[in-house]
Amino acid sequence: MGRAIVITSGKGGVGKTTATANLGTALAQLGASVVLVDADIGLRNLDVVMGLENRIVFHVVDAITGKCQVQKALIKDRRLDNLWLLPASQTDDKDAVTPEEMRSLIFELKASFDFVLIDCPAGIEQGFRNAIAGADEAIVVATPEVSSIRDADRVVGLLAQNEIGARLVVNRISPHLVKRGDMLSQSDVIEILALELLGTIPLDDAIVATTNKGIPAVLEGKSLAAKEFHRIAKRLCGLAAEEPASGRGFFARIGRALGLSASPA
Amino acid sequence: MWTNLKNLLGYGRSTSEVAKGRLHLVLAHDRTGLEGARLQAMRDEIAAVIAKYVEIDSEAVEIQIETKSRQTQLTVSSQLGQAKV
Repeated sequence: MGRAIVITSGKGGVGKTTATANLGTALAQLGASVVLVDADIGLRNLDVVMGLENRIVFHVVDAITGKCQVQKALIKDRRLDNLWLLPASQTDDKDAVTPEEMRSLIFELKASFDFVLIDCPAGIEQGFRNAIAGADEAIVVATPEVSSIRDADRVVGLLAQNEIGARLVVNRISPHLVKRGDMLSQSDVIEILALELLGTIPLDDAIVATTNKGIPAVLEGKSLAAKEFHRIAKRLCGLAAEEPASGRGFFARIGRALGLSASPA
Repeated sequence: MWTNLKNLLGYGRSTSEVAKGRLHLVLAHDRTGLEGARLQAMRDEIAAVIAKYVEIDSEAVEIQIETKSRQTQLTVSSQLGQAKV
């Protein structure tokens, strides 16, 4: 039986879909069988981020309503042997499916895959309730901004009410802004949200460029963001991933003492 | 570097410190779910209870909700005068 992990944030535009695409791809590169489920019904995007938009025939709502078999709606990513996408519908509403229906779909997928990654829509309404319904655990993505952290905190509370444990991914950290005192550090965000950290993704131009092409960054080159997604994937598998690189010199130690460094707490 | 030095010496807070402070307050309120008017009513009742026992300026009673980790804390502060008999 596989694990169902929902990637959520409350706020939109913080990198849920990019994180889902890259973590799923990185997990598949580690040899796990992975299905990515786009739960953002009506506003599908995971297909374009993965570069699979031209291959959609059926979608998640078809699979749930029985218009097709679940297997028929899955798109195989040809770049890897064990990576699949279940796209969202673009024309239905969020209330086209119920949490119970999503729960049984995810349960069915868990029987065939090691990882079921669910890309949650922004917000905390029906779409969110659908996306978390079948999840065993959650990854909360937050950027180091007041609005994102506030929304993430709300989501953590709702996940706790549903007995879903959450771990944190801090996205778009800019080390020089942190150093200058103009951006909340990774440890600030951990302290405020009181969550276990899975990893920190630096702000990286490579994400913009690879997303333009529909290729997850982890499949291309060795950008800083890709490296960190690989580390997080290892942690998700319970493999020891080395700690993020951090300065060990005198100034780095001073920086840490002052809480200015982006190194882990 | 200059900003770091200024922060180190305690001249002004960095914008990240400001953000952190704002978040602690906002999240405390979000987590309790107490809206402004209810909070005000609670403050007034607490002030009235204190005033039953001690001379105070009811208007000067301040309450603050703050959060550390996932614990939310209520602090009531007031100047106390003589106990009433």
